[in-house]
Amino acid sequence: MGRSLPRWLVALVAAVYAFLHLPILVLVAFSFNASKFSVEWTGFSLEWYRRLLERDDILRGLRASLVVGLLATVIATLLGTLLALGLARHRFRGRRALEALLYVPIVTPEIVAGISLLIFYVLIGLPLGLATITIAHVAFCISFVVVVVLARLEGMDESLEEAALILGADEITTFWRVTVPQLWPGILSAALLAFTMSFDDFVITSLVAGPGSSTLPLVVYSMVRRNIEPSINAISTLILLVTTLLIYLADRYGRQRARS
Amino acid sequence: MPLARQRLLAWLRRRPEARAWSLVGPGVLFLVVFFLLPLLIMAAYSVMSRGEYGGVERGLTLESYRRFFVPIYLTILGRTFGVSLVCTAICLVLGYPVAYAIARSGRWKNPLLFLVVLPFWTSFLVRTFAMIFLLRDTGLVNTWLLRLGVIREPLTMLYTPFSVMVGLVYGYLPFMILPIYASLEKLDGSLLEAAEVLGARPAARFRQVTLPLSLPGVVAGSLLVFIPALGSFLTTDLLGGAKEMMIGNLVQNQFAAARNWPFGSAASFILMVLVLAAVLVYLRIRDRRPMAAA
Amino acid sequence: MTGLDRREFVRRAAALGLSLPAATALLAACRPVRHDPALDDPGRALGPLERELAIYIWSDYVAPDTIPDFEKEFGVAVTMDFYDSNEEMLAKLQAGARGYDIVVPSTYIVEVLVATGLALPLHRQYLTNWGNLSPIFLDHAFDPGNRYTMPWMWGVTGIAYRRDRIPDPPASWEIFLDPRYRGKMTQADDERDVIGAWLRYRGHSLNATDPAQLEAAKRDAIHAKQNLKAYISAPVKGQLITGDVWAAQIWNGDAEQARMEQPQVGFVLPQEGSTIWLDSLVMARGARHPRAAHEFMNYVLRPPVAAAVSTATGYGTPNREALGLIEHPVQYPSGEELARLEYQRDLGRDTATWDQLWTEIKAS
Repeated sequence: MGRSLPRWLVALVAAVYAFLHLPILVLVAFSFNASKFSVEWTGFSLEWYRRLLERDDILRGLRASLVVGLLATVIATLLGTLLALGLARHRFRGRRALEALLYVPIVTPEIVAGISLLIFYVLIGLPLGLATITIAHVAFCISFVVVVVLARLEGMDESLEEAALILGADEITTFWRVTVPQLWPGILSAALLAFTMSFDDFVITSLVAGPGSSTLPLVVYSMVRRNIEPSINAISTLILLVTTLLIYLADRYGRQRARS
Repeated sequence: MPLARQRLLAWLRRRPEARAWSLVGPGVLFLVVFFLLPLLIMAAYSVMSRGEYGGVERGLTLESYRRFFVPIYLTILGRTFGVSLVCTAICLVLGYPVAYAIARSGRWKNPLLFLVVLPFWTSFLVRTFAMIFLLRDTGLVNTWLLRLGVIREPLTMLYTPFSVMVGLVYGYLPFMILPIYASLEKLDGSLLEAAEVLGARPAARFRQVTLPLSLPGVVAGSLLVFIPALGSFLTTDLLGGAKEMMIGNLVQNQFAAARNWPFGSAASFILMVLVLAAVLVYLRIRDRRPMAAA
Repeated sequence: MTGLDRREFVRRAAALGLSLPAATALLAACRPVRHDPALDDPGRALGPLERELAIYIWSDYVAPDTIPDFEKEFGVAVTMDFYDSNEEMLAKLQAGARGYDIVVPSTYIVEVLVATGLALPLHRQYLTNWGNLSPIFLDHAFDPGNRYTMPWMWGVTGIAYRRDRIPDPPASWEIFLDPRYRGKMTQADDERDVIGAWLRYRGHSLNATDPAQLEAAKRDAIHAKQNLKAYISAPVKGQLITGDVWAAQIWNGDAEQARMEQPQVGFVLPQEGSTIWLDSLVMARGARHPRAAHEFMNYVLRPPVAAAVSTATGYGTPNREALGLIEHPVQYPSGEELARLEYQRDLGRDTATWDQLWTEIKAS
């Protein structure tokens, strides 16, 4: 498969990526800005990176966001993928109703979802904290995961799996060795989407978080009224750097394994 | 362990319905307990009376629902649908090529995919303020356009429907790109080659091989952009200068300043019912079509 | 069904119902926050000092060393969580969230908290530094006798403007009706502030509920909207600094912050009058550390601590003993100014009317 893409397509795609990353470049630039207001460039400074070390609230928020994000992504992707498989491959009673019901979390306004969940937690006596945030995130992510994985599943060739079964593999082996690898781009896309939604969520999280369990978005949003200190730009820049590094390393590692 | 596995498989084989429900069960249970049940509470609230200081008080009434059916709220609902539709269309036009390009990028697939979502691992607010910095009268875009002599006076880009659309499209692009990529990725280069060998031109190849294959992704992406966009409110506030009201702003207000939880719930449920009805119609049409041959 | 089937079935059912045992375990483990009735009586003594304190507060509302110094001196571990609007805090508490010891509501929210039993009375015997507070900020209609509230910060809403763009200081709300500055002005994105301003413009109270008065205010607000660039609250500071905005309805503290970065920013209290607001420390229902809460309140009543907070946040302190310790203190409003300043009160059932008006203004 060596066909290269037409020039106009590459240009369009590059433009879209530029569009997506232009605000990010601005964000990064302002992390080095001397002024505490991110409106004009007044000079170079590393003050905000230094300030990060003092801002316990930001660092704790980051840790909470990562814990919740990773946990919620894993659970939501797992439950959602299984759900998608069940929906796509089997005919059972209530299938269409179930599929329609999956769109309820997607359409529910965040504040309604958040308040209803908060009331529910209070009703069953669940204390607010990181656990309640994680549960809420899983609840609104599952549907997105299902829709993305279903998109992959639809029209996916079942002949490979049939062949495996005919050749004597049992269902579980077939699942792990044939289905999941084929499904992998869908699962990865869904997981990326789920993590992104969880990491940046504010409305629902603010309602179901308990004392001492603020995530990074909660810390940032509360700053709007005063001023979003560029320390937030600094930590965002660091997150971008670390993530890019991890992607690069994962890519290298993946290719090394493929070679061996 | 292998014995348990055999027994499990034997049991599953005997009951095809059990197989379906064992896959679907855990997710459904989670959703029912932690989403639908809480939502039922809100449904109950929507038919109760507004408490004097917020919350609800005793007394069932359909007043909240009745109150919604006046021109001002229906216009808000209609406008929201229009805005979301346009946003979805733009996301499709911009997102499809990107998904296609990533799917055809061989070993660069995964890094390119990550680069799509990477911007969203920064804070929404800081990103939005960066957009304000770019779009405002004294902002970067205007400064450069003026310097290059393209314009004489700064363009008013901020706090307009244009800036709201930019913000919405920006925020929902990954929701379009990722599902389309997921369904396009199985596009086999050999299929396209075969089509080419058989004499099909690029447009026909696209129309008859690529497009049908990506259709599930296109539909999924469109739903994942259109539906959540209906509930968005922050973008209108921050990039639209809070000068308009979408249904998301209305609902948000009811739980905030207006302290009218029943009305907020009622408005949400009206929105939900409309969307779910449309989804059901779509599902019925989809199931009636014969499955496209792979 | 053979015995084998039943065992598998049970195992499968147990696996599916994993969430149920987990939930039961969680329920058993958690401690429901019970309300201690002793807290309702302000005369009763509080127990010994607890080791923790949970504060729910606006962001950036303390000085950098306020909390660490308190923690060191009293040996109390403090957690701070933030909200960005009164209404968000209220909705959360009304929905049943408990566990915060101190919340920081504005005036009209205090009334709602008290009316719905979400605020606990202060045990004043522990607030020995109470006398440092200026009487100007005590004993107001929203909490007579300060049964529940301890004044924390105060401010006024007014018009911040660019002196180099608007040569005559805007003495009236009328400036927002002036087409000369079309597209260069903003009002706050807050229904109380906007409708309140136009009520004052016509000489009415900003807590008015009379339909005719409200209609007139609505018309003025819609008329002004044509000249507005946007409805933005505090974040408009940045655009005042860069000159994108020439006149903005914001709080004095934010105007001051903008002025420090851009000396051309001025601030005016309109002649028709405006809002004076007061944020207070209140003990919330479900507080688990009442003694620590009171010790904290008493701690921030110390003049040096109050002075540090005021300097760091840019807002006025109601602690008159602290005024002398601040370099450029926010002066208390004069008698003449106080006469045209009003506190926002809760509107009760008329909240729905105001909201309807706001929707109409936004949809116009």
